Amino acid sequence: MFLALTEMRRAWGRFVLLAGSVALLVFLILFQQALQDALVTAFIGAVRNQDAPVIVYSVDAQRTLQASQLDRQQIDGIRGVRGVGATARVVQGTSTVRIGNGDLTDAAIIGTDDSSLFVPLELSGGRRPSAHGEAVGSDVDFEVGDRVEVIPAPGGEATSLRVVGVAPEIQLNVTPTLFTDDVTAAAARRAVNPGAPGDLTNALAVQPEKGVEAASLTGRIQDAVPDVEALTREDAATRAPGVDQVQQSFRVIFLLYALVVPLVTGLFFLILTLQKSRSLTLLRAVGARPAVLVRSLLLQVVAVLVIGIAVGLALFLPVSSLRVGSLPLRFDGTVVVVWATALIVLGLLSALVSLRRVLRIDPIEATTGGGGL
Amino acid sequence: MRLALRELRRRPGRFVAATAILALIAVLLMFLGGLLDGLLDSSTGAYRAQQADVVAYSTSARRSLPRSRIPEDLRALAAKAEGVTAVGGLGTLQVAARPSDEPQTRDLISTVLIGYELAPRGLPSEPPPLGSVIADSSITADGVREGDTLLLGAGRVPVKIVGLVDDTRYAGQASLWGSLETWRTVTQQLRPGQAAPDAVQALVIRADGSPERAASRVEEATDGALEALTLDEAIDAIPGVSQQRSTFNQIIGVTVLVALVVVALFFALVTVERISLYGVLKAVGASSGTLFAGVVVQAVVVTAVAAAIGAGLAALLDVAIPPGSIPFALSASRLVLSAALLLVASVVGCAFSLRRVLRVDPAAAIGA
Repeated sequence: MFLALTEMRRAWGRFVLLAGSVALLVFLILFQQALQDALVTAFIGAVRNQDAPVIVYSVDAQRTLQASQLDRQQIDGIRGVRGVGATARVVQGTSTVRIGNGDLTDAAIIGTDDSSLFVPLELSGGRRPSAHGEAVGSDVDFEVGDRVEVIPAPGGEATSLRVVGVAPEIQLNVTPTLFTDDVTAAAARRAVNPGAPGDLTNALAVQPEKGVEAASLTGRIQDAVPDVEALTREDAATRAPGVDQVQQSFRVIFLLYALVVPLVTGLFFLILTLQKSRSLTLLRAVGARPAVLVRSLLLQVVAVLVIGIAVGLALFLPVSSLRVGSLPLRFDGTVVVVWATALIVLGLLSALVSLRRVLRIDPIEATTGGGGL
Repeated sequence: MRLALRELRRRPGRFVAATAILALIAVLLMFLGGLLDGLLDSSTGAYRAQQADVVAYSTSARRSLPRSRIPEDLRALAAKAEGVTAVGGLGTLQVAARPSDEPQTRDLISTVLIGYELAPRGLPSEPPPLGSVIADSSITADGVREGDTLLLGAGRVPVKIVGLVDDTRYAGQASLWGSLETWRTVTQQLRPGQAAPDAVQALVIRADGSPERAASRVEEATDGALEALTLDEAIDAIPGVSQQRSTFNQIIGVTVLVALVVVALFFALVTVERISLYGVLKAVGASSGTLFAGVVVQAVVVTAVAAAIGAGLAALLDVAIPPGSIPFALSASRLVLSAALLLVASVVGCAFSLRRVLRVDPAAAIGA
């Protein structure tokens, strides 16, 4: 151990460069992981973190709430399917709003005709709406007590909402999001588009009857009612347009970054082992056991990786509380632990080549002028 | 320098690992760049194809095409603005499509129907007749061909594809270009109330002089009821475009930094190994500059080979990615840019070894 640490102290420049490259890679991985999570959450948080187990869209909407439209016949048909319990009409639109005295921004306004269905699962502050004009807002965009003015288009009628509660991770389509009742949401929609029909239903939220599984109910609804797509809450979130593409793209990126870390580490220690071959042979000749040399190598690998990961984490920490555009990033301890473990394991595996060379050292070479590995 | 090249030729093995790592980083850079290009191409094609100087929205829509409504009277005011030579309406409807021979399929095609008056690049100046459209060629990935009929929306409104045009996607969807009349008819049938008979969503405007001046003149002429943007501003205003560009460029920048550190690390190790050799070379008259030039040449060659391998792998990735799955677009300019960034990183990276080369004492070579 003494040998390993002394070498690191003496040749610190090389080890700093290696730890630096690991740190940059760790920073990139953690940043992109946070970006992916933020992107997916901001796209479909409103669907994933609401309480209705089943959501029914029109099939043409391709799982997009705002593009979906259900007619009266379809709604009645869904309500008549065996196993369907409580239902709620869901109305959604995107409006230009002013929060307090702030700048204009876009906001998704979601309303339902049942105050206990298709509402945020948990609040991080305030209370749930109890009257028209009250709303729960995404907690990264709103504060309890905010007055939200919907800016009308020409010919539209101004309307406003009051934020009485806030909830975590309930954004839709990366915009500030408000959950309210259907009347308030419809008024907000008409303010922006005076020509919009007043009784429009975008989707139907369904609570299965007791003992009925959400997954089996979706199939029954689709079989019974034409041109609708019924999805469990999780499917509605993961199969929303773009989510799979985002995840696939990031998977490729992560795979490439995860390959670079062990390759860089492996190459570094291989070159170092080759350069030290004569010294290592001499050490073996004067009685150093292979286990001592192996421990020394592994200690250096772990030390470099731990320092690199720690520095990468330190770089990421201040960034994790920032916003990328309108995306709020978040620090996720589990993600850090998983990546740190994976990178240390991969780094140790990459040192196997160097390890093999150390174990192959023949001490007799020291007496014959050899010592090359 | 000849020595450096000879070492590369005689002992290529010692550079293989570094080349492999740099090739991987090159693939990463090219993949990230291709992803950015693919995302931007699929979001902005319909705008990039416009042969216009200015795009105008209703001010209350805050640069959102779907929310914008421009009535006939505002259009007339915009047309009278100084320098304006032509004004065309634009209307869009994002709608799912089905092949006409599979009216009940649940496997839908995402499209955006765009009604136009002023022809974008690649489209006829006279829009196709009512019920006919020219489709973006990306739709062929869904098995749709010229001459096919698509059924749009829940109402299964038929439109016939009478031609194909390249690189005109919008919001990641294949565009269907038709007349404003086609757009209004389909919208009225599928989304009653969304298409007023005399309104359009945006105006594309051709004007004399600079686009910036034309934009401000249109805003003045409409008393601020329209927000007019130059074409480049309108492209940047498409949701997500500027954020995607800046985020990806930052990630690419840090990845280049990783390449720089890797090159620095590798050549620092190699230089340490050669210290005694450099001492001998200096003793026989080689200058520090010559020795360092050798290091730079090796770094450039290794990086160039890595970039070439990376480009090959990125091209394979491009072929392997099924159309429509990941928005990945690999272009020659992206490959060249990535290779150039890597080369710059490698030259800067090997400069870390410069100090060590300068410090080599030729006297040490003769045991002084």
